Amino acid sequence: MPSNPAEPTPAANPADKPRRRMLLEVITAFISFVIVAVPSTLGGLFFLDPILRKRKAGASGATEGEILKKDEAGFIRLDVSRDAVPEDGTPLSVTVRDDIIDAWNLFRDVPVGSVWLRRVGDGPPLAFSSVCPHLGCSVDYHRAENEFFCPCHTSSFDLDGKKTNKIPPRGMDSLEVSTRTNGKEDPNGLEIWVKYQNFQKATSEKIVT
Amino acid sequence: MNALITWLDSRTGFKAILHEALYERVCGGARWRYVWGSTLVFTFVLQMITGFMLWSAYSPSTRTAWESVYYIQHEMYLGDIIRGLHHYAAQAMVVLMAIHLVQVIIDGAYKAPREMNFWLGLVLMMIVLGLSLTGYLLPWDQKGYYATQVTTNIMSVTPGVGPEVQVLAQGGTDYGHLTLTRFFAMHAGILPTLLVGFLALHIYVFRRHGLTVHNVNHAPETTFWPDQVLKDAIACLAVLAVVLLLAIFRGAEMSAPADPAVKFDAARPEWYFLFLFQFLRFHAVESLGLTFGAIVVPGIIMGIISLMPITANVLGKFGHNFNRAFIWLLALGIAGLTGLAFYNDANDKGHQAALTEARRDGERAIELASGPDKIPVEGAVTLLRNDPFTQGPRLFEKNCSGCHRYNGHNGRGTLVTDAGKVITTEPLVVSPPVIAPPTAADLGSFGNRDWMTAIVMDYSNHFAWMKNAEWFKAAQEKSAAGESVDYINPGSSEMADWTSGNLDSLKSPENADNVKALVEFLASEAGHSGTAYDSALVEKGRDLAINGSWAGALMDTSCAGCHDTIGQDFPTQPDDSSAGSYPTLAKYGSAAWLKDFIRHPGAARHYGLKNQMVVYSPQKLSGTDLDLLVRWMTHDYPESTVHEYENQLETLKAALAASAGEAKDAAETPSDAGSGNAAATKPE
Repeated sequence: MPSNPAEPTPAANPADKPRRRMLLEVITAFISFVIVAVPSTLGGLFFLDPILRKRKAGASGATEGEILKKDEAGFIRLDVSRDAVPEDGTPLSVTVRDDIIDAWNLFRDVPVGSVWLRRVGDGPPLAFSSVCPHLGCSVDYHRAENEFFCPCHTSSFDLDGKKTNKIPPRGMDSLEVSTRTNGKEDPNGLEIWVKYQNFQKATSEKIVT
Repeated sequence: MNALITWLDSRTGFKAILHEALYERVCGGARWRYVWGSTLVFTFVLQMITGFMLWSAYSPSTRTAWESVYYIQHEMYLGDIIRGLHHYAAQAMVVLMAIHLVQVIIDGAYKAPREMNFWLGLVLMMIVLGLSLTGYLLPWDQKGYYATQVTTNIMSVTPGVGPEVQVLAQGGTDYGHLTLTRFFAMHAGILPTLLVGFLALHIYVFRRHGLTVHNVNHAPETTFWPDQVLKDAIACLAVLAVVLLLAIFRGAEMSAPADPAVKFDAARPEWYFLFLFQFLRFHAVESLGLTFGAIVVPGIIMGIISLMPITANVLGKFGHNFNRAFIWLLALGIAGLTGLAFYNDANDKGHQAALTEARRDGERAIELASGPDKIPVEGAVTLLRNDPFTQGPRLFEKNCSGCHRYNGHNGRGTLVTDAGKVITTEPLVVSPPVIAPPTAADLGSFGNRDWMTAIVMDYSNHFAWMKNAEWFKAAQEKSAAGESVDYINPGSSEMADWTSGNLDSLKSPENADNVKALVEFLASEAGHSGTAYDSALVEKGRDLAINGSWAGALMDTSCAGCHDTIGQDFPTQPDDSSAGSYPTLAKYGSAAWLKDFIRHPGAARHYGLKNQMVVYSPQKLSGTDLDLLVRWMTHDYPESTVHEYENQLETLKAALAASAGEAKDAAETPSDAGSGNAAATKPE
């Protein structure tokens, strides 16, 4: 600030009534603090909404007449039949569709991610999230090396999802799978249901987010 | 600590700045009259804090603006408080600014050497008004949309550059996504930056010349800190308390999502611009053109205010007195015009009805947005467009209320009036509008138990409104003249004769349960949503309707005796060849029946040749609209807690009886038409 020609001089002698002045200063400072603190605190709490607010329950499953595609445990029915997964154990990438609540919108049956499916023996296929446990890029399948590979930071995994170099903190995230017929658990069922979840990245443990 | 402060001071010199800022001299002592500038700075800080927070959740586009504001207001943590604070602090800022301006003028603080500061203040005032204006549109609700339309249209009459200015402000020739992004950039970016810059200059120049002391001998000289700061802080605290209380107990309103296709009769600018609105409405002003009222006059006023320092300089004492008188008169004029605007609106029934409807739409939009399906991606505007509860009343008013009423009103809560008759043309004298008598059934209870009860027990009376119709009077005249006329006569027809002839038996205790069962059956055939029916009673009623298992004198009668399709499904492909000469009661009152009836009231399965109702072909009433109307009338929509329009049947009857008494035509008016039951019940 440029200099003021009228150099200020404290006119009232502070020594006159030091106690009264002290009290006055404390009160003034306090009120000044309050008028700034109240709106700042309210604003701060508002900004913390994503942490402070309890989310309302999501939308109820299928609307009338629709085939149920998600059960209460969170298993989602994939659009491929078990037959379509290659018998020789080659991984197959499948898109997962679900309802998404995005703030004020509800998007019905939209792609939410993809999983790698692999047939191993006669049991239900293995399913891995295609999200890299390192920092969240997409894991690809390299046919030539016959391995899973993430192009961002060169994480690599074998076909069972185990990490094969030191870059990723853990193996690929396997997902729970169940085979069903008309939504009912059935070891020979052709429907593939996957519990699609997201996990925290860059941790050695698998933590659901 | 001290060492740190010393180090910091040696590098920044902050102590001197702080000293200069805090120990400004205040001649004549600290006074309450000096607080207004500080309260304005405080309010601006409040707007910055709440504004940044709102910014973190606001999304400017025509499909997300209302939606994100809804989300802030109704879902986010403390969102209603933050938005309420921003909303009311904006208004407080305008009020404080007016006080500040008036005080500067009456105290002569605008005079030399403080001219520059005065002009800087006027610039700040324009910026604040710009912030109000741009902010009003951002929620993209009906209120803001239509009020801002008016403003940008006023811009367009600016001589020379109007249309270009308007297109620039809107980001195109019409309102759209870019209008919001541009208004938002102005509101949150450009204008606040300018405000900060000009405010810094304003305060700098203010400090250069010091306070304009009102009375040097008021008290001993003191310093800004802490004496004046305390008074300022208390004043700011009061401002904060007021806006916080308003935010908590009143909240910021949100009307329905902006819809250019929906008329908004409740449009008004924010209250502090009402004076201008009222001024523009005067016929004398209107006749001089919009440019005169909205641009020339405010321009002249601003010009006079801007020239005040020069006026005072040139004309001396007289100039100052002129300025003081001018600002007082202006304040008085603004207060008077604002009061007049409020008074006019409070006494304008049309405006009040529009406000009621605006509130109803707003609440309904919020109710639907809070539902499990959230807001469609096409935007919240489709919530109301596809909502029978919202569209039904409008469609009813437009298409049906010429003859029918809904609980006495036109569907939208207003009694139907005939336009006043022109008594003389030179000068134009028009009689006051009179309540129009309905000429067809009141459909407020259509298809529910009251309606069915009225048909079984009180047929003549229930349909007596028809006797007001011209066709009825004409038919009666012809009939009186001996001609043979085939017409619907609620007073005398087979159905009317059945109810009146059997009334004693219908009302006798032995048939009390039977009537109840028949009504339950008929209502269940209509099957309106949201009503549960007693299945045992329904079956008993079905038996009565088809087989006529009545007691007493009614023993031999059954509905099916005439209405042979009763109890059957309403045909989707109606085959008229099998229709009898009586109206079909197959699923009478149901959505399927009602749709068919509205499209083909004159079909043999309905009223046949006796029909007087207008045929609503798809050209007259689209399939979508028919669907919405029928769904509303059969209560097929997500349940609502929003206030329904009041039942005005009794008001209507009283008004008609009064005008009938005047016209000495009481015999012709069915002053007691409609069944008592139906009148007293609101729709479920």
